[in-house]
Amino acid sequence: MSGTGENKPSVQRAIVPLLLLCPFLLAVTVPFIWMVLGVFKTNDRLYQLPRLWPMKPFNGEYWSGIAEGIFPQQYDWQNVTELLVGKWMPFWDVFGNSLMVSLGQALGAVALSAMAGYAFARFSFRGKRVLFVLAVALILVPRQLFAVPLYIWVNTLGLMDNLMGVILPGVVTGLGVIYFTQVFRQVPEEYLQAARVCGAPEFRVFMTVLPLVWPALLSYGMIHFILAWHEHLIPNLVLFSDTNRTLPLALAKLYDVSHRTPQGVRMAASTFAVIPTAVLFAVCHRKFKSSLSDMLVH
Amino acid sequence: MAAADQRTPGTRWTPFLFLLPFLFFFLLFWVIPLVGGVKMSLQANGVGQAEYVGFAHYKALASDGRYVTALRNSFTYTLASIVVIVPLALWLAHLLRATFRRLRPVLTFALLLPALTPPSVLAVLFLMVFYGDYGFLNQLVVIPLGFKSIRWHGDPDFILSGLVLQNVWRWTGFMTFFILAGMEGIPKVYYEAARLATGSRWQQFWHVTLPQLRPVLLFVMIYLFVDGFSQFVGAKLLLGSAGGTADAGLLTISYMNYHTSNNDFGSAAALSISLLPVMVVALWACLFIRRRTT
Repeated sequence: MSGTGENKPSVQRAIVPLLLLCPFLLAVTVPFIWMVLGVFKTNDRLYQLPRLWPMKPFNGEYWSGIAEGIFPQQYDWQNVTELLVGKWMPFWDVFGNSLMVSLGQALGAVALSAMAGYAFARFSFRGKRVLFVLAVALILVPRQLFAVPLYIWVNTLGLMDNLMGVILPGVVTGLGVIYFTQVFRQVPEEYLQAARVCGAPEFRVFMTVLPLVWPALLSYGMIHFILAWHEHLIPNLVLFSDTNRTLPLALAKLYDVSHRTPQGVRMAASTFAVIPTAVLFAVCHRKFKSSLSDMLVH
Repeated sequence: MAAADQRTPGTRWTPFLFLLPFLFFFLLFWVIPLVGGVKMSLQANGVGQAEYVGFAHYKALASDGRYVTALRNSFTYTLASIVVIVPLALWLAHLLRATFRRLRPVLTFALLLPALTPPSVLAVLFLMVFYGDYGFLNQLVVIPLGFKSIRWHGDPDFILSGLVLQNVWRWTGFMTFFILAGMEGIPKVYYEAARLATGSRWQQFWHVTLPQLRPVLLFVMIYLFVDGFSQFVGAKLLLGSAGGTADAGLLTISYMNYHTSNNDFGSAAALSISLLPVMVVALWACLFIRRRTT
């Protein structure tokens, strides 16, 4: 288990795990490859999956049949341009809405939970235990459970078909509060004392600590962004006009058979739905992991 | 400003000032809808000044066979996902640690891709895996093992397994990432000590890795539990708004959504509220485990 300890693993010892990982890597990546190549395929070709069975490894036709099933006949960008110029849905509106919603939720959630986490980690006060248990309960009761009353309440507040009707409810997170409580517990007390000696008000002390924990802020912001990017049920109830939808909703509409959207356009839209979160994760990956390693095991 | 003791700087109200924004939104978008849900579940149609019907919706649920099916399906789905994902993710994390260090970030990222993908896209990608006789699952696993190809959407015996498989595919890489991060945080000294005490790697895993990973595993299980119970889009796109043949894939949230789309808000609310005790038991169990470990 501690293979990376003092003796570096030899090539042979590292190759077996890699081979064992291969089937899993294939299972995970093949559908994505199919999605991206699907952008260039016609409707009837998309679901013509390669036929591997019965196997004829020495038959040339068998292999060319498989290649035909995997690769498109020609690389034509028409589906992508049609999607981007808004022939099938107001793509840039929808994409922008998704960005706004996810960014708004992430920033709000980080701000609220960081402040709450600071209070939980650094103060003792009446009712702290009860409030903290409530924050845990917040994780355990998914919002999907009271989607309908939430939607009626959002309606009462006059936020229907408004991005704020999705952003504002999305900033409340139990996971964030617990995460930041843990993060602020690890900030050395001397650091805070030093700031307090200068006579700074407590909020200034909090602000001086923030740069110290920025990987944690970034990590949680990223996770929340991704979760918000995927959210379906509540936006689906709150947002209804075409230009106010978020990407998952527009996608669901695009997938709907009655719309006769070419499969290639669907695949292009799906690809664009994955890119932002994938890029975000790739960029923040290292910070996120080290911040987790520090926190998860005290 | 009187600095009474070191733990509580500022005035008595300082912590509440920090909590205020959170509490405000918590009240506005969590407590109020929750109370509204309870109220809706006691009314005839649930909306506005509807007639009060007491526990009628709950009684109707208890004798509703589809509700019981949905609840049982959700439990099976969630528990099966946890039972498959957690050991698999532990093993994958171990493999990632054992393989070439340079490749580790790329491999982790590839495994994580499904978790970064919106569930509606996942469902569409999964059509290919399940599609007819030539779906990848049938071609690569079922037929080579000597079975007849399985109709994953249609055969009630396999629908739920299909959904679990989709969930495993979605979350295993993500959980592997968390476990990997946890493993990398374990101080090497612990392993040195374990190596002196015992020789076997299995015992190192059992006595060092696993106990050290307990917070991570707890997080992973809670996450999967909550996500399992709020699962909806994947099942909906794969099976339509009903639960597929013989309701074999009917999950609780899809059933709630079915009531909602029929404008039967009272039943939908009663259904959601009836799940609260389940979540509370889970909360209690998780706090119980935590207390035992610390």
